[in-house]
Amino acid sequence: MKQHYSMGDRIFSICNYTMFGIFTLLCVFPFYYLFIQTISDNSLSASGQVTWYPKGIHFSNYVEVLKVKGLSNAALVSVARTVIGTIGTVIGSAFLGYLFTKRKMAGRVFWYRFVIITMYFNAGIIPWFIIMMNLNLTNNFWAYILPAIVSPFNVILVKTFVESLPEALEESAEMDGAGTIVLFSRIVFPLIVPIVATIAIFSAVSQWNSFMDTVFLMTNDKLYTLQFVLYKYLNESNSLAAIIRSGQGMENIDLSRVQTSTSIRTTVAMIVVTPILLVYPFFQRYFVKGIMIGAVKG
Amino acid sequence: MNPVVEPKRKRVSFTISTRYRLLLYAAPFLILVLVFSYFPLYGWTYAFFNYRVGFPLFDTEFVGFKWFTSIISNEFQVREIVRVMKNTFGISTLGLITSIFPVIFAILLVEIRTNWYKRVVQTLTTLPNFISWVLVYAIAFMLFSVDSGIINKLMISLGLQSGPVNYLASPDHIWIKMTLWSIWKTLGWSAILYIAAITSIDQELYDAAKVDGAGRFRLMWHITLPGVMSTFFVLLLLSIANFINNGLEQYFVFQNSLNKDSIEVLDLYVYNTGLVGYNFSFATAVSMLKSLVSVFLLFVANQLSKWVRGESII
Amino acid sequence: MKKVKKSLLALLIFALIGSMLAACSSGNNDPKPSASPNSTTSDPETGTEEPAREEITIDVFSMLSNFSGEQTGWFAHALKEKFNVKLNIISSNLEGGGDIKFQSMMAGGDLGDLVVFGDTDSKYLDAIAAGMLLDWTKDGLLDNYGKNMLQNAPKALEKNKAQFGGGTSIYGIGNDVGPETEGPSEAKELNYHPNLRWDLYEQLGRPEINTMEDYLPVLKQMQELQPESDSGKPTYAFSMWADWDGNLMMNTKAWAGMHGYEEGDGFNPGGFTLVSADTEDVQGILDEDSYYMRGLRLYFDANQMGLVDPDSITQNFDEAVNKMRDGQLLFSWFSWFDDAYNTPERMAEGKGFHLVPFNEARSFSNGFNPYGGGRVWAIGSKAEHPERVMEVIDWLYSPEGNMVANYGPEGMMWELKDGKPVLTALGEEAFPSNKTPIPAEFGGGVWDDGRNQINNTTFKNTMINPDNGDPYDYTLWTSTLAKAPTKLEENWRAAMDANTPVEWFTKNNKIAVQKAIYTGQPYVEMSDDMKQKQGQVASVIKEYSWKLIYANDEAHFNQLKEEMISKAKGLGYDEIVEFNKEQHKVVFELRKNS
Repeated sequence: MKQHYSMGDRIFSICNYTMFGIFTLLCVFPFYYLFIQTISDNSLSASGQVTWYPKGIHFSNYVEVLKVKGLSNAALVSVARTVIGTIGTVIGSAFLGYLFTKRKMAGRVFWYRFVIITMYFNAGIIPWFIIMMNLNLTNNFWAYILPAIVSPFNVILVKTFVESLPEALEESAEMDGAGTIVLFSRIVFPLIVPIVATIAIFSAVSQWNSFMDTVFLMTNDKLYTLQFVLYKYLNESNSLAAIIRSGQGMENIDLSRVQTSTSIRTTVAMIVVTPILLVYPFFQRYFVKGIMIGAVKG
Repeated sequence: MNPVVEPKRKRVSFTISTRYRLLLYAAPFLILVLVFSYFPLYGWTYAFFNYRVGFPLFDTEFVGFKWFTSIISNEFQVREIVRVMKNTFGISTLGLITSIFPVIFAILLVEIRTNWYKRVVQTLTTLPNFISWVLVYAIAFMLFSVDSGIINKLMISLGLQSGPVNYLASPDHIWIKMTLWSIWKTLGWSAILYIAAITSIDQELYDAAKVDGAGRFRLMWHITLPGVMSTFFVLLLLSIANFINNGLEQYFVFQNSLNKDSIEVLDLYVYNTGLVGYNFSFATAVSMLKSLVSVFLLFVANQLSKWVRGESII
Repeated sequence: MKKVKKSLLALLIFALIGSMLAACSSGNNDPKPSASPNSTTSDPETGTEEPAREEITIDVFSMLSNFSGEQTGWFAHALKEKFNVKLNIISSNLEGGGDIKFQSMMAGGDLGDLVVFGDTDSKYLDAIAAGMLLDWTKDGLLDNYGKNMLQNAPKALEKNKAQFGGGTSIYGIGNDVGPETEGPSEAKELNYHPNLRWDLYEQLGRPEINTMEDYLPVLKQMQELQPESDSGKPTYAFSMWADWDGNLMMNTKAWAGMHGYEEGDGFNPGGFTLVSADTEDVQGILDEDSYYMRGLRLYFDANQMGLVDPDSITQNFDEAVNKMRDGQLLFSWFSWFDDAYNTPERMAEGKGFHLVPFNEARSFSNGFNPYGGGRVWAIGSKAEHPERVMEVIDWLYSPEGNMVANYGPEGMMWELKDGKPVLTALGEEAFPSNKTPIPAEFGGGVWDDGRNQINNTTFKNTMINPDNGDPYDYTLWTSTLAKAPTKLEENWRAAMDANTPVEWFTKNNKIAVQKAIYTGQPYVEMSDDMKQKQGQVASVIKEYSWKLIYANDEAHFNQLKEEMISKAKGLGYDEIVEFNKEQHKVVFELRKNS
């Protein structure tokens, strides 16, 4: 980019860099803030005396949390559902989204709408649970994967993206006599890498973050996920509240037993969030402008 | 195996027409949708009964549309609903207006030429998206609380206020505050889509325009922006359909008795009145109504898009 | 590029085939179980027949538990040794909160093997009516495997039979079964009583307090005496939290508890009524002179005096506990809330919270209950080995089982000396809830994590253990009571002429004991319409209660009060109060007869 920038350009650039700088700081701070709480002296952080930098640094919170039973298994389940689930969603939604761009498909508009409006359906937990149970998807790892394969939102994204591509490429390939599957995997898929990367990120994050399916479908602790472990920590004071509302036997309550300290819970939150953060930069390289066009040409 | 990987040369022997072959490819996925999204809808029948979980449906009392009318059966309830709907519309409208922000964010971000800086910004601005609202509130409390919040300390030491203020309790401008929180949390994340869309714009368009002597702003305005608009309109349409679904979590963690009047959106109201917990039929009636309204809005918005932009989206 | 394409294709084909297969099997309504880990943990057909009984895993669905997953540590070890069982605990509180988990399990038709209910409420009734619970009288289950229950808790069984089993069946047994003695069943402290920073109160010369309102000037003086916490933050008398509010504002309801009134009557859950523990008085919470309204007025005045933490309205329970721990607070409604401040170090210095009663106080207390409380142990109707679940429950209703469930087997935390229980060195270190390592012979792990996670009780622990003549509760053992008190305790005892708050309340006749009643039928439930109204009214009352406390001035306070009352009444407050008053009358009749 060896260009002569005008004055306006330069001012714009300065403003642009500064604005993004400030907003980035705003986004990072809370995360940083949580982090320094977890490595600061627990009594100092509990009484709100840790604001800008850690005080009395220690890592015993992390040591403590890593000792929690079942954590490594939960991590494994989380990773498995994220990887397998993401592959499933990417392939399912990308292929379906692509098919919906085919004007020749029988009842295309109907089927497209058939898929899309399910985004707004909410039948409630119980009927959903009963269906899952009848499919034998309780205490079954595939309950994490199968329902996620077709994601209407991702289907829309892919369809819109494919439609915005120049049609010439595909048409020429079609004339060569390539079948739909081959066409999709050889020609279309490389073209839609940016949107595939996007839905992969979306799907990975939502797989990693979900816990309600674990709550309802899993009673076997071998299938618990990391998010579920965190969720349980955050729910602890529920039971205390439930007990006091029922008004019996409160005099025996032992606070330290029913309530895990804030520092431990924050540490769990950190541990749960960190891995998924590392995934994003990995996908980011697919967003670099021009890579796709270049690839097709080359 | 199946026809999917059959060698090309055999295709001629297929009697099935392209139209149905394409549908056949889609079939497994459509079946998944049918099973996981449509089958559970049988549960909507619960809305017309006094359903109790664990009992066969027809052993429970049939009540017709009782649950649909029950929240507006007297004047006080109507007033509550009007208030709640006002909040819902207010916050949703702000949400729709600000949904252009991620577009602007993406366009401006692409203008940053320093690669490492761009990457760092792009990665770090997604951070808030990964923290749940419960934790966001915990952070907000630490920042804004009366005794230990930094904001109060800062304001007092700068002489901008005489004593500490409980910012989180204040009901002023709560719609705007809620919108700002959600922008902060989702901006970097939502921009990903637009960044992806920008990368698919043909580089040749830019080159050609540069040859014509177009400056930076004209490139942004005439090439980048139109390039992401189709994605934007799709998302806008989808969020119009979500007009009455604000979600619960954000408002739940930020609500308190002083700001409740203006923060209580429909989802929160239904939760707060405690009905979802034990009254299953009522909860079903509410979610059924919401689903129908959303689908209706979706088609209205689609129709509008047809008239205005000449193309339908779904 | 080529390589990428190839691998993508392979991936695609793999996934497509996978998804097609999946789609086929999911279209089918009765698929065969897939190869993934979906074993129902309750039937491990391990095959190897041992002379001992095969190991089974009991799925425990507990609405009280604060833990989910497999029970570990010393309690797991004890159960394994004795019964060769493992516990897999499912906690409704941690998993979804409210009733959601319960409802999905009901929908699935299986509540697990061992079921623990939080109350004898509609959930329990529905579970019985829908056939989810096992009748213990069938197949001689109770007669063969329930000897201890029949011997130690016959009335609790009888009550369950009459009240929930139509006079013939038994579906469960209540907790906290006690002897038929009068008086409070609590150990040393009650749930509700005003605890103040005793050290500060003594410095002020222990001014007399007659009514609840009299606390305000005293607290103001205490605040002046101690304006800052340990970390230099301002002190307050009251720091409250809203996240526990149910039908009304919980921190305000506490004042009713200190006068001997509670929301329920011990049988009906009530709602918007405050019922006396031992008289026939019932207050509507919005009555002009109800303890609830007096409480709101008190907080309003306190706020005007700068005694209310301005964060109260926005903070949750955790933050209030942190403030307590830091020493920012001077008042506690609950005997357990100030534990956060009363550390051994501070108590040794003479600093800490202790009961400072007011003359009008009549603190609410639960009497001993031979019929058992509302937290029910039951067995799911789909349990594969009901007799073995029964054995475990039955054992918990024996003196030996109750001791193990609370404190582990003899020789670990406690031992008998001259026939009386004393803590071992390990017990001294570990109690009440420390992370003290446990020797491998008892199962390893640490004390606190290994504790019984089901979180329900069998006997009332203040009851005498027939095996040794001391109560079950270790804080009441002769050996524990003989220990030297902390400085704080010593000061308090000298001033109050009593060893514990319960003793003081009883001695001065300032306690309102709610006696257990026996009824032949379950309580009358509100209709769903009324529950719906109750939810809407509760929402209004909670909102306005907090607004009243933070009202700007007298006029504003009165205006908000008017608004609260008219809105609540408009939404159906009166109807609910009337309904509940009718129900309470029935209970008052029963109280007379028991």
